[in-house]
Amino acid sequence: MDNHGSLPCPDRFFELRFESIGGLGAHAAGQILATAAVLRMGLNGAHFSSYGSEKKGSLIRSFIRLGRPEQRIRTSAPVESPDVIVVFHPALLDRPATLAGIRAGGTLIFTGPAGAPPKGLARLPDTVRVIRIDAQQIALDEGSRANAVLIGTLAAALPFLDGEILLQALSDEFAQRRPEAVAANARAFHRGEQEFEALPSMGRADGDLPIHRQRPLWGYQTAPMGGVIPVAGNTVWNDLSTSRTGWLPVLDPDKCINCGTCSMVCPDLCMVWSAEGNSPVPTAARLLGIDYRYCKGCLRCIESCATGALTSQAETPGLAEGLRVALFPEMSQAVKGGSVE
Amino acid sequence: MNRPEVIDLGLAESGSISQRAGFLSGNEAAAAAARDIGFHLMGYFPITPSTEVAENLAEMQAEGEHEIAMVPGDGEHGAAGICYGAALGGGRVLNVTSSQGLLYSLEQLPVQAGTRVPMVLNVATRTVSGPLDIRCDHSDLYFALNTGWIILLARDPQAVYDLNFAAVRIGEHPDVRLPVMVAYDGFFTSHQRRRLEVFDDMAAVQAFVGHPEAPLTALDPTRPMTFGPYMNDPDLINNKMQLSQAMTAARRVIPEVLAELASLTGRAYPALDLYRMEDAEAAVVLINSAAETAKDVADRLRADGQRVGVVSLNVLRPFPGREVRDALRHVGAVLVGDRGDSYGADGGNLALEVRAALQQDSQNRTLVLNRIYGLGGLDFFDADAEQFFAEALEAAHQRSVAVPFAYHGTYSGEADRNPPPGLPPITAEEVSRGMAKVTPNPESGRLDVELEPLWAMTAMPCRIAPGHGACPGCGIFPVLHQAYSVLEGDLVVLFQTGCAMVVTTGYPHTAHRITYLHNLFQNGAATLSGLVEMYLERMRRGELPGSPDITFMMVTGDGGMDIGMGPALGAANRGHHMIILEYDNQGYMNTGAQLSYATPLGHRTSTSALGEAGTGKVFHHKDTAQIFAGCHLPYVFTGSEGYPEDFMRKIAKAQWYAKRQGLVYGKVLSFCPLNWRTEDDAAEDVLQAALDSCFFPVYEIEKGHTTITYDPDVVGRRRPVADWLGLMGKTRHLLAPDNADLLAAIEDEVARRWHRLKAMHEHPGL
Repeated sequence: MDNHGSLPCPDRFFELRFESIGGLGAHAAGQILATAAVLRMGLNGAHFSSYGSEKKGSLIRSFIRLGRPEQRIRTSAPVESPDVIVVFHPALLDRPATLAGIRAGGTLIFTGPAGAPPKGLARLPDTVRVIRIDAQQIALDEGSRANAVLIGTLAAALPFLDGEILLQALSDEFAQRRPEAVAANARAFHRGEQEFEALPSMGRADGDLPIHRQRPLWGYQTAPMGGVIPVAGNTVWNDLSTSRTGWLPVLDPDKCINCGTCSMVCPDLCMVWSAEGNSPVPTAARLLGIDYRYCKGCLRCIESCATGALTSQAETPGLAEGLRVALFPEMSQAVKGGSVE
Repeated sequence: MNRPEVIDLGLAESGSISQRAGFLSGNEAAAAAARDIGFHLMGYFPITPSTEVAENLAEMQAEGEHEIAMVPGDGEHGAAGICYGAALGGGRVLNVTSSQGLLYSLEQLPVQAGTRVPMVLNVATRTVSGPLDIRCDHSDLYFALNTGWIILLARDPQAVYDLNFAAVRIGEHPDVRLPVMVAYDGFFTSHQRRRLEVFDDMAAVQAFVGHPEAPLTALDPTRPMTFGPYMNDPDLINNKMQLSQAMTAARRVIPEVLAELASLTGRAYPALDLYRMEDAEAAVVLINSAAETAKDVADRLRADGQRVGVVSLNVLRPFPGREVRDALRHVGAVLVGDRGDSYGADGGNLALEVRAALQQDSQNRTLVLNRIYGLGGLDFFDADAEQFFAEALEAAHQRSVAVPFAYHGTYSGEADRNPPPGLPPITAEEVSRGMAKVTPNPESGRLDVELEPLWAMTAMPCRIAPGHGACPGCGIFPVLHQAYSVLEGDLVVLFQTGCAMVVTTGYPHTAHRITYLHNLFQNGAATLSGLVEMYLERMRRGELPGSPDITFMMVTGDGGMDIGMGPALGAANRGHHMIILEYDNQGYMNTGAQLSYATPLGHRTSTSALGEAGTGKVFHHKDTAQIFAGCHLPYVFTGSEGYPEDFMRKIAKAQWYAKRQGLVYGKVLSFCPLNWRTEDDAAEDVLQAALDSCFFPVYEIEKGHTTITYDPDVVGRRRPVADWLGLMGKTRHLLAPDNADLLAAIEDEVARRWHRLKAMHEHPGL
C-alpha cells in the first residue's frame, strides 16, 4: 500500500499526459489511474481532461499530477512538461504537439503494430524510454478497449504504481455497470503488462523537449471585427482521418450502379462524383471514390449500398492514401504552402 | 488572519466530525454535498460546464442514494422559476448553472432576493457569449453582483463541498433570508478531480444543516398570504433597505456559520483568504483557481526573499471591504486580476471594488494595478502569476504605476498569418437545378413534387463543406445534405446552439459555404424573423442590389425547441417567410446526452439514469409537430433522414410555402449512434424501425390537410415498438420483464398518437 516513497521525483509532481481521440477511453483511463493512486495508494493527485463539447473522434488530452500525500496541489493548469506521455492513436505521433514538453529521462508509451518505428520518434530526447504496445489489436482480440491494455502497460512501466491495485480499480469501475467486461478487461490489462516492446532509443534531442502552446491564427489586430469568419467552407483543410478506428469503406467501381444513395447518408460529405451530372446536358454521374481525408469511418455508406460495391476493409498504413480520391484536387497545393496549422 | 495549513486537506483530526477521503471534481463535490444535505427539490437546465451536477445526482437518484425531486426546466429561465416556486413552498431548493444559463435566469434572481426566499445556486463559471465560448471566466458571475444574492467563492472541489453546507445555513438564517450562490471555476474546478474529505457521519451533517424553517410559506392554507405584491414608491426603497440590512447581517452570520462548520471539519474559510501577507510589500488579488496558482508562485518568490502575498476572497457578496482595507494597509502595490471586464470602466469589477474599499481609508497609499486575464478559458500558468507579482513589485519599488489597466495574455496577430482560405461562393445558378419540381395541383389545392434521381443531385454543390468535427455516423449531416440537395437558390441559415453549430464553426474555421448565423440557444427563431423582415423592408426600399431571392431557414436540435419554444411559436404565429427545420435526435447531445422533452418515456439519458430506483425518463416525448400544427401554418411536416426521398419532397414544399405563404416547421428524425448507444452504421435499421413501429410517423399537414406519407400498416411493415427499442443501448432495458409496465405505457402512447393521426389523415375536416 505504501508506495509513495518510491515516487521518482519527491521534490516535484510526477506528471502524465494522455494524447488521444475522443472515444478511445483516455479520459476514463486517466480517471481510473488517478483515483486509484489517490484513494488506494495514498498519493495526492489531480486529474482532468481537455475537451470541449461531447464529441467522439476529436482530439483529447488527459492530465494526471501525482505527489506525495502531504504535497499540496494548487495549480489547475494543464501538464506541459510530462514525465510520461501515453499516445492512444498512432497517427497522433505525427503531430509535434503530441510529444511536446516531455522530460529528458521520461517515458513514451504509444500504441501501434510491430514494424519499423514511426519517424516522429526521432524528435524525442535521446534519454526517453520508448515503449510500444499494440493496444488496439489486443483490445480487439480480447473484446476489451485499448485503455485497459494501456493501464496494464503503465503499471509495468512505472514501478511506483501497484499493478494489482490498478487492476482492481479497473475491475471495480466496470463491476456494476458492465460486469461482463471485467474478465475481458483483466486479460487486456495483463497483456498490456506483458506484451509491450521497449524500443531502442531513437531520439536525437538533448534535454527536455520544448513545451507547445497553441498560438491563434488571428490576433486582435488582424481578426475581423465581432468574431465574423468572412470566408466560406475552410474546414476543407481539416484532416479527420485520425477519427477512424480501424476500418474504412472501399469502393469497387465494377459493382457500383451509381445510384447516389451513399452520398445521401454520408455524414462526412466525402463521396466523390464525376462531373457529368454537372454538364449542360447532364448525363449519369459516376461515383469515383472516397476522400479519406474527411472520412471518419462510420461505414454508413456500406450499410446503404444495395449492390455490395462498398465494403469495409481494415485500415493498414498507406491504404487510405493509395485509394483516396481528392474532393478538392485544385486546393491540395495550397494546403502545403498555406498557413494551415 | 488564517493559517493556510488550516484550509489544507488531510487535517481532519482537527475537526470533530468523522470524514473520509474522496477524489472528486468540483461538480462531483457539489452533487455529493447536495445528496448529503438532502435538498427537497432541484430545478435545472443543462449547460456546460455545470451539467454534471444534475447528471451525478440523476445517477445517485437511480441508485436510491437520495430523494431530491429533480425537475428539468424548459430552459434556465424556466428552471429558475421552478426553483423560485419550490422555494416559496418552504423546502430546500438547489439549482446549478453557468454562463448564458445564469444570464437567462438573471431576471429571476433579484426577485428571489427581493422577496427574501433562500435557495442554493451553484455556478460553474463560464464565459458569456458572444461569440459562444464554453470555457471559464468570470463574466457570468459579475452579472450576478447586483442581484442581492450572497455569493460564496469555492477555489477547489473541497471548498465546493464545504461551502454548499454553509450556503444552506447562511441563507436560511432568520436575520438573512437570502438566496446564496456558490461559484467555482468552470473546467478548472468543475472538471478537475482533487483529493478532498467528505462527511462520513450523516447524523452530524443533518444536525449541522438542521431543518428549514421558513417563516412564511405558500403551502399553509391556514395562513393565507400574498407573495409578490404590486409595490411602487414610496414602499420599494424600504423593501430594498431591508435587503441591504440582510446583507449587513450576513457579514455577521457568515463567519459564525463558517466557524461552526470549521469546528466540524477543521477547514476554515475566512471572508478574505490571506496568504503570506504578514509583511508583504506587493500582492496580487485573484479569485478562485488562479489564486491557488499564485500561492505556489508566492512560495517560490518568498524563498527568493521577495515579500509577496496573495489575497483572495471566499465571500464576494457581501464584499469584505473592511478586511481588504486591513489586509492592504501596509502593502505598497497590489495587482488585481479580473477574469472579466467591466467594459469602459477602466477596470474589472474586482479591481473597482478593491479600489473603492481602499479609498475609504484616508491613510491608505496602496497602488492598484488591474489586469484582465484568462478570458474565455485561457489558462493561468505559473508564469502569468510571476508576471503579476513582478509588475506589483515594480510598482511598489517605484512608488508609481506605469500602466494602471491592461489586458494580459492577448495576441496581436501577424500580417501574413491567417486561417486557410475558403471555397468560392456558391452562386444561385449553381444550386438552382430543379432537383425537386414543385407544381400546385389545382384539383387538390396542394403541391405535387417530382424528384430527380439521387445521382443527379450529386451535381449540386453542397452548401456545407466537409471537414466538420461531428462524431462518426452523425445523422445531422445527412439531414442537411438532403435538404440542401433540393433547396433552390440563395439560402441564409441560422443554427441554434447544438451539435450542428459547434462542429461546423470552430473558430477560425467554418464548414458553411453560405451565410450562417448563430445567436443565443433559445432565440434563433426571433433572430431569423428579424432578419427576414429586414430583408423584405430593404427589398421594398430597393436597397439590395440585384434583388436577391433569399430563402431563410433555421436549423435547430430538439433541445433548441425546448428552450426556444416560446420564440419559435412567436415566429410561427407571426407567420414570417422562413423554415424551421428541427433535427430530432432525442436529447441534448452536444452537452452529453441529457434528456430533452423530445426524449421518449423510459429512455436512458445522462439525466434520466437507470438503476435500482431509476428507469429512464419519466414523461412522454413532446409532440412538437402537433404543437406547430396548432399554429395553423401553411405547412408542417415530419421526416426521417433514413427516408431521403420523402424528406426531400417535403423540404421542396417547405421552400415553396415559406417563400409564398409563411412559416414552415419540419421535424426530422436524426441518428445519434453515440448517445443512442448503437454501432455507427446502424442508422438504417434503427430509423426504419422507428417508422415501422409508428413511434415516429412521417406525415405532412398541408393547408390543414394531414397526410401520412409512409404508413407501415398499408405496406405491411408494421412492427411492435419493442422491435425499435431493442435496437438501441439506451432503450434495451425496456424489454426486461421488470419494465413491462413501462413498455406498455410507451406502446399505448404510440398507439394513441398514431390512431389520432390516422383519423386526421382519413378525415379532411380534422
